[in-house]
Amino acid sequence: MKLPSLLQAMAICATVLPAFAAGFDAEISGQAAKSIPIALTGYTGEAAQILKFDLEVLGFDVVPAAKAQFELKAGAGTEVQGTLVDTGNQHPLFSRSYPGGSVRSQAHTLSDDVVKAVTGNAGIARTKIAYKADLGGAKEIYVSDYDGANAFRATEDRSITASPAWVPGRLALLYTSYKGGKPDVYSHDLGTGARSRVFGFNGLNTSATVSPDGKRIAVVLSKSGSPDLWVSNIDGSALRQLTTTKESESSPCWSPDSKTICFVSNRDGKAALYTVSAAGGEMRKLSTGGILNCTEPDWSPDGKWIAFTRAAGEFTLYVVPAGGGDATAITAGEDPSWAKNSRTIVFTRGRDRARRLSLLDVPTRRVKDVNRISGSCSQPSWAR
Amino acid sequence: MNCLTKLGLIALLAVVATGSGCAKKPKNITPIPNGYNGSAAPGSDVSQGGALRGGPGAGPGNSGRFTQPTDAAPRDLGIDPNKGAGSSSELPSGNLRDGKIEDRETFKGNTVYFEYDKSAVKSSELAKIAAVAEHLKSHADASLAVEGHCDERGTEEYNRSLSERRALSIRERLVNLGVSASRVTTEAFGEDKPADLGHDDSAWSKNRRGEFILLVPPSLK
Repeated sequence: MKLPSLLQAMAICATVLPAFAAGFDAEISGQAAKSIPIALTGYTGEAAQILKFDLEVLGFDVVPAAKAQFELKAGAGTEVQGTLVDTGNQHPLFSRSYPGGSVRSQAHTLSDDVVKAVTGNAGIARTKIAYKADLGGAKEIYVSDYDGANAFRATEDRSITASPAWVPGRLALLYTSYKGGKPDVYSHDLGTGARSRVFGFNGLNTSATVSPDGKRIAVVLSKSGSPDLWVSNIDGSALRQLTTTKESESSPCWSPDSKTICFVSNRDGKAALYTVSAAGGEMRKLSTGGILNCTEPDWSPDGKWIAFTRAAGEFTLYVVPAGGGDATAITAGEDPSWAKNSRTIVFTRGRDRARRLSLLDVPTRRVKDVNRISGSCSQPSWAR
Repeated sequence: MNCLTKLGLIALLAVVATGSGCAKKPKNITPIPNGYNGSAAPGSDVSQGGALRGGPGAGPGNSGRFTQPTDAAPRDLGIDPNKGAGSSSELPSGNLRDGKIEDRETFKGNTVYFEYDKSAVKSSELAKIAAVAEHLKSHADASLAVEGHCDERGTEEYNRSLSERRALSIRERLVNLGVSASRVTTEAFGEDKPADLGHDDSAWSKNRRGEFILLVPPSLK
């Protein structure tokens, strides 16, 4: 009570963090981490709904005040307000007001502040995702808030559009479109609407992803006569072939230092994960502890983990250390894409062309569905 | 004007994008005819995309404003699209579909089926491919697109690559039977164009396939 609030907050973080952050590594291989009980007092309607969703995605449980470790109290103003209190000593961690913008954005900002105050990590409530939506004929690319709100149809090609990937730090996407009759890779600036074809070689052009430093593109092309992994500059120039297998490669992703690419090859019969230097060299198999049929890798932004899909009748999400090792099954689903917090994953679940996007909190294993637009959604990419 | 300059730059970048440094080629792989890719950024529908508003945002990272795509205008920059593309000189310089009519009927009965997660052509399917090869040999003006498809049991991009591999396997057979590699292109659809919308073994076996689309000059149709 006598401590300055900053010190108080640090003391609280020190007690919370070990169970929360250090638990992560243990949780990958073992039981789910415990969620943090929090009470939301005085919130109604949209603000209450959004705060609950955001906090549950990040590993909190919304409970009555008597059972809570933290309590978030609403204010009297018309805008969203929040006072976060440690219920153990009733000391406030912060008390803030969020004027301007919509109730939705105010509530998201408040939940990010709660996450930051309790865990020390930046929130993800104001990030965006892109995904493919099967509208029962055309397959178009959509962009929305991470929870599915404010969905915007980015393409109107009335064709097949697939495999969206964000350009890091920009409101821009690369994706595959069949508007020209076959799969070509396009670059699309969402701010200006300017679009250009980056790869349009005969055969396959797909699975383009931009390196975290924004300088290069990894892409699958078949112009050499087989679906191989290639790398180029961000404008498509200086194209270089990285693999020369006769079998097919797919789904490249980048290490956070932009030096290594992880991808899928069925060079040895079954689909497996491989890594290769973006500068060229031998492709090396990534150990997944005997798990076969590994596809769709995505490298966590902190560099520690690679999430992937095991496709063996059913689809299952796994996580494996980035250097290889034992892979751990996390939940049923496919198409993982990490948030910038290296904790939350957006993925696809369901089947039979009625698929939907869900959010996975890896430490607690909690899964929450994204608000659904009409149609079957897949191939999410989290902006980071 | 500023905008046009920008579009021109985008078109130029797309041309630059087609240059390549082709690494060593493995055996038994027939390079795909080049050139379709070689042109400047395509798309003739340069329309003014209206700015649509998403939700207004209070915080950073929630800009809420997106714009529909406006494709860069194609323009002839006098660059040979095949230059440096790493292909042999016998390959065509344009889209095999250019100026041709699509005929999906002639080889409707020749659709080639595959085993689950495999791209090798089964011996039971070889006669279908041989018939297509004979037709092409006696119709010198025709070209061929081979569409590759998968069932829904793989993941999407894995399937897109697998379906291309299937189409390439069929193309390889055609080339071995004497069809010029420059007359056959491949189009990979992954699991995006199922022939049967069911979700059982019967539907899946019909969806793991390669289809032949004959491309004929208008005068022959």
